[in-house]
Amino acid sequence: MTNSKKYLVLFTLFFLCFNLTLTAKPFESTYKPLPSINVLIKNANIYDGEGNELLQTDLLIKDRKIEAIGKDLPVTNDFEVIDASGKWVTPGIIDIHSHMGVYPAPGVRTSSDGNEATSPVTADVWAEHSMWVQDPQYTLALSGGVTAFHVLPGSANLIGGRGVTVKNLQRNTINSMKFPDAPHSLKMACGENPKRVYGSRQQAPSTRMGNIAGYRKAWIEAETYLNRLNEYESKSDEAKEMGYKPTRDLELDTLAGVLRGEILVHNHCYRADEMASMIDVAKEFGYKITAFHHGVEAYKIADLLADNNICGALWADWWGFKHEAYDMVQANIAIVDQARGGKGCAIVHSDDAIGIQHLNQEASKALSAGIRAGYDISKARAMNWITSNPAKAAGIYDQTGSLKVGKNADVVIWSKNPFSVYALAETVFIDGALAYDRKSNFYPSSDFDVGIINANKNRLEE
Amino acid sequence: MFMKLFKSFLCFIFIGTLYSETTLIKNATIYDGIKNIPFQGNILIENDTIKKVSSAKMQADFVIDASGMIVTPGIIGTDTNIGIVEIGALSVTRDDSSEIYSIGFSIHDAFNPKSTLIPWNRSNGVTSALSLPQGTASPIGGLGSFFVLDGEHDITSKKDIVMIGGVGGSGSSSRAETFAVMDDLLSFASGLNGADLDDISETIEKSSIAEFMELHPRDVKALSRLVNNNLPLIISTHRASDILKLIELKEKYDLNLIIKGAQDASLVAPQIAASGIPLIINPINNIPGSFDELASNIQMASRLEEKGINLMFNTPRSHNFHLVRQGAGVAVANGMSYEGAIKAITSTPAKVFNIDQRGEIKAGYFADIVVWDADPLEPSSMPEYLFINGKSIDLTSRSSRLRDRYTSQSDKPNTYRN
Repeated sequence: MTNSKKYLVLFTLFFLCFNLTLTAKPFESTYKPLPSINVLIKNANIYDGEGNELLQTDLLIKDRKIEAIGKDLPVTNDFEVIDASGKWVTPGIIDIHSHMGVYPAPGVRTSSDGNEATSPVTADVWAEHSMWVQDPQYTLALSGGVTAFHVLPGSANLIGGRGVTVKNLQRNTINSMKFPDAPHSLKMACGENPKRVYGSRQQAPSTRMGNIAGYRKAWIEAETYLNRLNEYESKSDEAKEMGYKPTRDLELDTLAGVLRGEILVHNHCYRADEMASMIDVAKEFGYKITAFHHGVEAYKIADLLADNNICGALWADWWGFKHEAYDMVQANIAIVDQARGGKGCAIVHSDDAIGIQHLNQEASKALSAGIRAGYDISKARAMNWITSNPAKAAGIYDQTGSLKVGKNADVVIWSKNPFSVYALAETVFIDGALAYDRKSNFYPSSDFDVGIINANKNRLEE
Repeated sequence: MFMKLFKSFLCFIFIGTLYSETTLIKNATIYDGIKNIPFQGNILIENDTIKKVSSAKMQADFVIDASGMIVTPGIIGTDTNIGIVEIGALSVTRDDSSEIYSIGFSIHDAFNPKSTLIPWNRSNGVTSALSLPQGTASPIGGLGSFFVLDGEHDITSKKDIVMIGGVGGSGSSSRAETFAVMDDLLSFASGLNGADLDDISETIEKSSIAEFMELHPRDVKALSRLVNNNLPLIISTHRASDILKLIELKEKYDLNLIIKGAQDASLVAPQIAASGIPLIINPINNIPGSFDELASNIQMASRLEEKGINLMFNTPRSHNFHLVRQGAGVAVANGMSYEGAIKAITSTPAKVFNIDQRGEIKAGYFADIVVWDADPLEPSSMPEYLFINGKSIDLTSRSSRLRDRYTSQSDKPNTYRN
C-alpha cells in the first residue's frame, strides 16, 4: 500500500469514527435481564398498582412479561407454580428519590459523590457518573421489594444535574443497570440548601430571591441556546455546510432537553409558597415540573399541584430537621392524593437507604393518617403511591409500575398484607427473573460484601 | 355521625377526669412490660398512680371500655433530644452542646416543656424521655436527664441520670488514643476521694489528664459520680473490637455501662451477654454506614435477644422518637418476640436508667398508660387515650392543628381559620 493510500484509509477510518462519536448517544442502557422463568403465581391477593384489589387471583409471568391475571388460570407443565395462598402480590416497588450509589455505604468522603457543590448551576453533571455500582445498599432495597429506583444528584445546587432511573439489578457497569428507554431527569432545588451552600461563600444565591433569579438566568441562557440550535436545524443542508454548527454546551444541552420536554424536572422544594413560585418559573419558560420532592407543605397547595399535573413525592412523617420542614402534617400524602376529588398524584419517596426498604410501611402510615383526616382511601389506591405513580414520574409507566398484561414482570410476593409492619417481601421478580428469594436465601451480594468481615464469608452470611 | 357524637361525648367525659378521683380502663388486652404474655384485665387509676391491675370487677368515677384494645405502658424515649432541640439546622433553637464544659455538661436546665416535639411524640405514644446532649470534646462526657412529657412548666424530671460518650473511627485520631484518654480519665476519677472534691481546683492541677482536658470543677464532680456512684454511662460505638475493649473498661472500673449503636454486636453477642451490658440499638438500621458497622443486619435484634441481652431501641430519625414503634415492629417481623420488643421501649429503659415506678403497668407505679386503637407496633396505629401521671392527655399537636386547618372546607383564607 502506498503512503497516500494508507493516509486515505486512515482518514476514512478517522472520519467514520469521528462521525460515529458525533451521532452515537453516549451512555445508553446496556441492560440485559437475568434468565427469566415462566411462573404461575396461584391464589394470591393482589394490589395491581392501578387501584384494584383482586382477591384469590392468579398471575402468570411468561417471557419476562405479565401474561395474564385472573381466577383459576390453567396449570400446565410449562410453568413453575408458586402457591401464594394467604400471601399478597404487588408490582415491584419504585422509589422516585434515592441517593444509593451516589451516597453509598459506607458513607465515606471518598465516595460521597452526590453534590457537585462548586457552582449553583451544574446541569452538565449526571448522577449516573457518580454511582458506585458496588454499593451494598441495593440488595437491601431489593429485600424490601424495590425493583427500580431513580437516583438524583443532591440539593446543594439550584440546578444539580441529571438523574437516572435504574433497575435494581446490581451490575459491574452503570450502563448495564440503566432502565432501558427511561428519560433523564433534572434535579432542581429550592430553599435553604442552595442559599446556605453558596451564601456561606459570599456568593449568589444567598437568599430565596437569589434562588429564583438564579433559575431564571439559567433558563434564559437555555432558551437562547435552544433557539440557536433550532435555527441551525431548520436550515437547508447547504446552508448548514456554509455556517457553523453551534458549539455544544453540556450544561445547556440538559436545560434545552427540559425545554424540549425530553428531560423530566424533579424539584426539591419544601415550602408551599416556594413551590408556587417554581410553578411560575416553569410557566415563564414553558417547561413542566414532573414532581416536587419532599414538599412538607404540599398539603397547603394540593389543588394547585393537581391543577398543574404535578406529583408530590413526599415522606410520611419526616420533619423538624430544618425550618422549611417544620409544618409537617402526616396526612400530607393523602391530601395531595385527594386534591380536586382524587385527581392528585401522590408518591411516597424515601431519600434514605433505610426508608427505601420499607416504603410499604411508609405508605401505610400515610394512608392511616389520611383515613384519620376523614378521607376514604383504599389500600389498593395507596399502593399506587409506591408503584404506578413513581413509575409515571420516572417516565417508565409504559413498561412497569403496575400489574397489567404486557408490562414487564416486576412482581413482589409478600408474606402478609404489605400495609402491615410484619409483612416481608418473600420473592421478587425483575423482568420475570427471580432476583430475590427470602426462603432459599437467594440474594445478590455486591463485591464490597465479599470477605469484608470474615474472609471466607460474605457480609450478610452468619 | 354516631361515632363523632360518641367521641365528643368521650371528650366531654375526659375533661371531667381531670378533676376526678378514679379512672378505670376495663377489658383491656394488657402488655404490662413485665410478663411475657398479655392478659385481659382492668386498670384502676387513682390520682397519678396505678391503684390496681386485676381481672376483678372494679368501680370508678370514669370508665373506658377498652374491649379489643391493646394497653401498654407509655413509651420511654431512650435516646432523644426532646425539649433541647426544636429545629435541627437552627443553632439558635439548639441547647444540646457546650463550649466550656465537657464531662459535666448538663442539659437539664435548658429543657423547654413547650417544645412542639412534646405534643407530637406524645400523640404517638411517648410519655417520657431521656434527653441527651451531643457528644462533647471529651470521649466520656455530657449528662442526660429524664423528663416526663406532660408539657407543664412545673417540670417533672430526674436530673443528670446518665453520662454519654463515644469511641470509633473518627477521621482525626486513632481509637487507641480515645481508649487511652478514657482509661486516664477513669483512673483519675477512681483515685478521687471526698477531700479531693472539696478542694477541686488543686485536684485538677495535680492531674495531668484533668489539666490537659481543661476540666472544670463540675466536670470532675460528674466524673467522680460516674466511677464512684454507679452513674449509668452510654457509650456510642459499633465495631466488635471496640465493644470488647469497652467490656474490659467496664470490668476494670466497675462501670454501669450501656452501649449504643452496636451495629457489630452480633459478632460478639456471647461476650456482651456475659458482661450483662444492655444495648440501645436501632433495629431497623441494617446499613453498613461506616467501616465500624459492617455487620449491620436486619436480624440483629432477634439474634441479640436470643442470647439474653437486654435491649432498648432508639431511632436517629430527628423529631419522630415515637418511630421506635416501627423499629420494634420490624424487629418482630424479623424474629424478635413481641413482648421483648414492647419491653425494649417501656420497662427496660426504666430499669436500666433507674427511672423508678415507671415503664410498667403495675400497682403503685405512676399511671403512664397508652390505650391503642390497634397494634402499637404497627406504625399506622395511634393512641386512642393516653395518660401521664394519671392525667388524661389531649392528643392534639401542632401537626394535627395544621391538618385540620387545611382539611376543613372553610371558605375563609387559611390565616382566618382555626
